[in-house]
Amino acid sequence: MTPAPVSRRTLPWLLFAAAGLVLLLAPRFLDRGSLNDVWNVAFGVILACSWNILGGFAGQVSIGYSAFIGIGAYTTVLLALKGVDPYLTLPLSALLAAVFAVLIGLPAFRLRGPYFTIVTIGVSEAVRVFASGVSFTGGSSGLRMPAGSFDFSVNYASMVALALAVIALTAALSRSPFGAALGAIRQDIDAAEALGIDSTRFKLGAHAISAALVAVAGSLYAINFQYVAPGSVFDFRLSLSIVLMPIIGGVGTLAGPVLGAVIFSYLQIKLLTIPALRDSYLFIYGGLLILVMLFEPKGIVGLWNRLAASVRRSPGGSDAR
Amino acid sequence: MPADAGGATPILSVRSLSKRFEGLLALGGVSFDVEKGQIFGVIGPNGAGKTTLFSCIVGSLVPTSGEILFRKRRIGGLPNDAVVRRGVVRTHQIVRPFREMTVAQNVSVGALFGRGKRRGAEAASRVAAVLETTGLSHRAGALAGTLTIGELKRLEIARALATEPEVICLDEVMGGLNPSEILAAMALIRTIRDAGVTVLMIEHHIHAVVGVSDRILVLNFGEKIAEGTPREVVADPDVVAAYLGDETNPLLEECVS
Repeated sequence: MTPAPVSRRTLPWLLFAAAGLVLLLAPRFLDRGSLNDVWNVAFGVILACSWNILGGFAGQVSIGYSAFIGIGAYTTVLLALKGVDPYLTLPLSALLAAVFAVLIGLPAFRLRGPYFTIVTIGVSEAVRVFASGVSFTGGSSGLRMPAGSFDFSVNYASMVALALAVIALTAALSRSPFGAALGAIRQDIDAAEALGIDSTRFKLGAHAISAALVAVAGSLYAINFQYVAPGSVFDFRLSLSIVLMPIIGGVGTLAGPVLGAVIFSYLQIKLLTIPALRDSYLFIYGGLLILVMLFEPKGIVGLWNRLAASVRRSPGGSDAR
Repeated sequence: MPADAGGATPILSVRSLSKRFEGLLALGGVSFDVEKGQIFGVIGPNGAGKTTLFSCIVGSLVPTSGEILFRKRRIGGLPNDAVVRRGVVRTHQIVRPFREMTVAQNVSVGALFGRGKRRGAEAASRVAAVLETTGLSHRAGALAGTLTIGELKRLEIARALATEPEVICLDEVMGGLNPSEILAAMALIRTIRDAGVTVLMIEHHIHAVVGVSDRILVLNFGEKIAEGTPREVVADPDVVAAYLGDETNPLLEECVS
């Protein structure tokens, strides 16, 4: 190998920064349709990476994250209808979702494994039914943002910047003591507690952080579509997609949720434009999920690591692992 | 050094501790005191309630009744992590490493979240010191899943030590070890005590317990049947009958001599 001008640790960050810069400058050279695709992918990246903090790092699989998208979206629309600038509502969206995540987590985190997962499905469905049933949310017909000037470029920049920030945040978290605690909880929660880790507190923290990030994405989603309804933001299929992305890419890894979100969001965009495949996408995702679970539980990242290891081993045969 | 008799207040005090699982009385009113700086052995046949006792002390089980006092303050019923942060930690009989972490990362969990709550360089130096003590320095970068059973037993001790405990409860850390490893483990236990940590140890390996303990508690069917110096305990007729077998047990003669 030729001597590298940058170390193996800084190279990914340089690539990340370059990619981020290109994406933020994309409106100067990409058409609106392509920008929409990037927007969708960025939305997916935020959901997948945020979910990965609790579901991947801490191993607590929630299938109820659409609730946080909805909380963010409704907070923004409801306040905008009161005359607040939509972008000023983002901190409140994050805060409300974090509080809700803690309130749900307090009882739910007493349960372990699949029991926790089942409760998250129940809670998010309850939230959807509630939002459809009460009047201040506009019921099942939803709410429209007040008419006003909408600037896609601001929304695009916000969504892409948030996606980049979430990637950087998860990378920082994974190397922090907080990340170490989540990893210990995932691998053996009793052993983690036996070393002084207050598992409930860390799970609540992870839940609150990821919920807050997802809620901000939900706010940006509502600003972009200028409309929010229970059928869109609280859709159970949305909750499932949020889980599928990191699993396909590599659950608990840093790159996995990003890869999964890029592939998933792009597939979704393309499939939805092909009439014959429009209704078959859940079938395709289900098939992908089964393949990943059967053959490579660490997803594409795991597959990549395995291939890289076998390539390293084959010529010299000197590699130990 | 053995504990000075009388006078000193015990660092750990167990008062009429009972634990009931459904119909089974796993512990039926056990009381004992452990002095600071002691090595305190706990022996008894399988199912005597030894591990249940440790689980109640560190809070991974909630006692049915009775009290556990650490430095005169009640810890019985507190959650496991809170007890660890106060300074009482245990190892697991069946090792529970974080298999996807390296040995050093495993130990750092104890340093980061135990009583010391070290960060950064302080955590790193604590980890290095503990790895040195437990003879795992050369395995620091190895994934825990690749260790031998002897190394895994030491990793259990290393992680617990990294929490900077005042009392460490070792649950059969010699199980599955060969004779030379057992000698090394006995030396390690003395090293831990000499560093100021009070040691409680459950051990089936009778030579080892008798060899390192200052005092020994004997449990049988959840009840204390004897407590005293190793010499007193192995000579106790109840202990001989319940645990060590008949009086002509060659093991016993070897221990007493």
